[in-house]
Amino acid sequence: MKKVYKLGENEVHALRGISLDIGAGEFVSIIGPSGSGKSTMMHILGCLDRPSEGRYLLNGKDVSALSRDELAEIRNRQIGFVFQGFNLLPRTTAVENVEVPLLYSRPVMPPAERRARAMKALAAVGLSDRADHHPNQLSGGQQQRVAIARALVNEPSLILADEPTGNLDTKTSIDVMHALQELRQRRGITIVLITHEADIAAYGTRIIAVRDGEILTDVPNTPRDTLESVKAPVALAAVS
Amino acid sequence: MANLRHFGLMALKALVRNRGQALLAMLGMMVGVAALVTSLALGRGAQDALDEQLRAAGANLIQITAGNYKGKQEIDTDPEGHIGHTELEPEWQPTGMIVPAAYNPAPRIGGDFFAASDAMEGGFIQAHFEDDPMAIHDHPTARQRLGDASAGLGSAATLTRDDAKAVALIPGVQHVVSGVHENVRIFVKGTQTQWFTRMHGTEADLPQIRSGWTIPHGRFLSRSEVEGAEEVMVLGRVVSDRLFGANVNPVEQTVLLWHQSFRVIGVIGSRSWATQPAPGDDQFDAIYVPVTTIDKLLNLSKLNSIAVTTYSVGDTRQVAKAITDLLRRRHHITAAMADDFQVTSVAQQVLGKGLSPDLARAVMGNLSSVDQLTVEQLSASLSRTNWIMLSLLASVAAVSLLVGGIGVMNLLLLSVTQRTREVGLRIALGARRGDIALQFVLEAVLLSVVGGLLGIVCGMAASGSMERFFHWSAVVSPISAVLAVAVAALLGITFGAWPARRAATLDPIEALRHE
Repeated sequence: MKKVYKLGENEVHALRGISLDIGAGEFVSIIGPSGSGKSTMMHILGCLDRPSEGRYLLNGKDVSALSRDELAEIRNRQIGFVFQGFNLLPRTTAVENVEVPLLYSRPVMPPAERRARAMKALAAVGLSDRADHHPNQLSGGQQQRVAIARALVNEPSLILADEPTGNLDTKTSIDVMHALQELRQRRGITIVLITHEADIAAYGTRIIAVRDGEILTDVPNTPRDTLESVKAPVALAAVS
Repeated sequence: MANLRHFGLMALKALVRNRGQALLAMLGMMVGVAALVTSLALGRGAQDALDEQLRAAGANLIQITAGNYKGKQEIDTDPEGHIGHTELEPEWQPTGMIVPAAYNPAPRIGGDFFAASDAMEGGFIQAHFEDDPMAIHDHPTARQRLGDASAGLGSAATLTRDDAKAVALIPGVQHVVSGVHENVRIFVKGTQTQWFTRMHGTEADLPQIRSGWTIPHGRFLSRSEVEGAEEVMVLGRVVSDRLFGANVNPVEQTVLLWHQSFRVIGVIGSRSWATQPAPGDDQFDAIYVPVTTIDKLLNLSKLNSIAVTTYSVGDTRQVAKAITDLLRRRHHITAAMADDFQVTSVAQQVLGKGLSPDLARAVMGNLSSVDQLTVEQLSASLSRTNWIMLSLLASVAAVSLLVGGIGVMNLLLLSVTQRTREVGLRIALGARRGDIALQFVLEAVLLSVVGGLLGIVCGMAASGSMERFFHWSAVVSPISAVLAVAVAALLGITFGAWPARRAATLDPIEALRHE
């Protein structure tokens, strides 16, 4: 898989040729410094962008040549996103935020069912009692859990988390990571996590290190709560 | 479309967030729609005014008069010159030299009456036979004596109240008013103040036909007064002024007609400055009494005229035809014979120019030759002024709608920019281009329609005040209101389309990075 951006005269090779196979139920951490191409990878994995060359098979279906609206439907049905900045709609309650993907699903879902499913997703992240709170009334960790509930609500097979703990302190980061781990364990959802922190990457079952648009290392990993124990020598070793 | 209610609510929220700008954009829309509504109202009003004037001019009036002065020449007249006597039936043969055949000094119930009349002839000074109040003037009817119709003699008594009742049943007929007309002398009771004038025996509906009337004092005849043949009288303005002095209220005064006391119940004046009451005219130098009262006093059963109006100006010709057919049937007039009545519809064909097609059709189809010049001039100048005014207003409306639309577009672009990140998120979460576009188009439509509704209210107020202060007629029809909202919504869609498209085609990755 390759991705080339054209910036005026220059061609930027964001991905120089990556071949990757992620199995169902894996928790893959993609780790790399900024400019390594990990964000581009995530965009392609999340069907937000298409590769310039090569193919991307999602659940056995080639999605690299689909139209914009077809990709929208795949994102809606099969992929959940968790962003660094939470990206919750302001002046909108938690439960309404969780409902947003359901608004765009086909066939059209009746409002009552939307509400029920959103409440279920909020319950799964332990925020039932915060359903009517607006994002500015929630802590960072709670906001990110709302975002996870939103990623969950359509029961996707894949959740993409782009620096989900980037804006959080250590304690809430642990909460969020546990929540993700739990999703994988309880529901068998595949999780792809993008981070530049080795401590966060260590929660995965597999760690892929990326640099300059290429895969540096791709090793299986035993998930460890490295954040909880202050030392994290193994994870650092994996990066180097 | 999907979840319209949700998206509508979202659009509303977005507008509330930018309420300052939204209000300004709405204002532009409002002015545009108000101008549109006003120009439509004025256009409609001008048309209605024209139609109303046509009615006032009597375009829907059909006059039936007894007798037929235009009938074919009398061909069966008695060569000897006996006016009114034909030789159609033996019984009409003259029986003596003194009395004409048609005269019978007493009812011919039995033979004895001849003897009685002989005795009378012997005992008293023979008055002129036509002065005998007990005589039955059983002339042959006009049907039998076509000749009289042409001469206008003795033929005035061919219409009856039953004819009038039958005419009233013809579809399309609005009002039917029977008329008996006489020249009379009237007195103010107890004085020598007198006036020679025109007496109209009429019915309660007459003011509905004469739309140019006002009633400065009292009221017109009521239905019950007509049915009860009461001795009440409505005076024309001229009569009232002559008998009681200018601007004096004569109601409840008593006027003598044929030595009978009549109670004055009202006065009729003219609404238009163009037709001022003047001595000698037929409407205001006249008195109006129930036709039934005249029947009772004079022991008449015949009418001089029947006035008919139609609901629609366009029906006049058809109804006139139906009346003619009906009366011919009722009067047993065969195809070979001329009518013993005359049906005229008041109409001006020239009026059609410059009017809307349906009005023109109605006018052209029915009007013939009354007051051509004035009405033609009136119509031409009216429609020209109308046209200029409407074009002006329409261009103002178009320009303000354009400005309003640009305002809407501006607000939408602002909204798209403000919400780039949100749009990016929604696209990432699975919104199709259509979903995003719909959201913004809805916002534009909501804005325009609210502006449009306000515009309708303003337009109605503007039309109302124009009517009130400038005396322009303005009519806001429901259709024009619906049209205005539709135009506003369409403008919203048109001017919202570009910003909506911009939002829908945003790159989600870029949009999500947008701050």
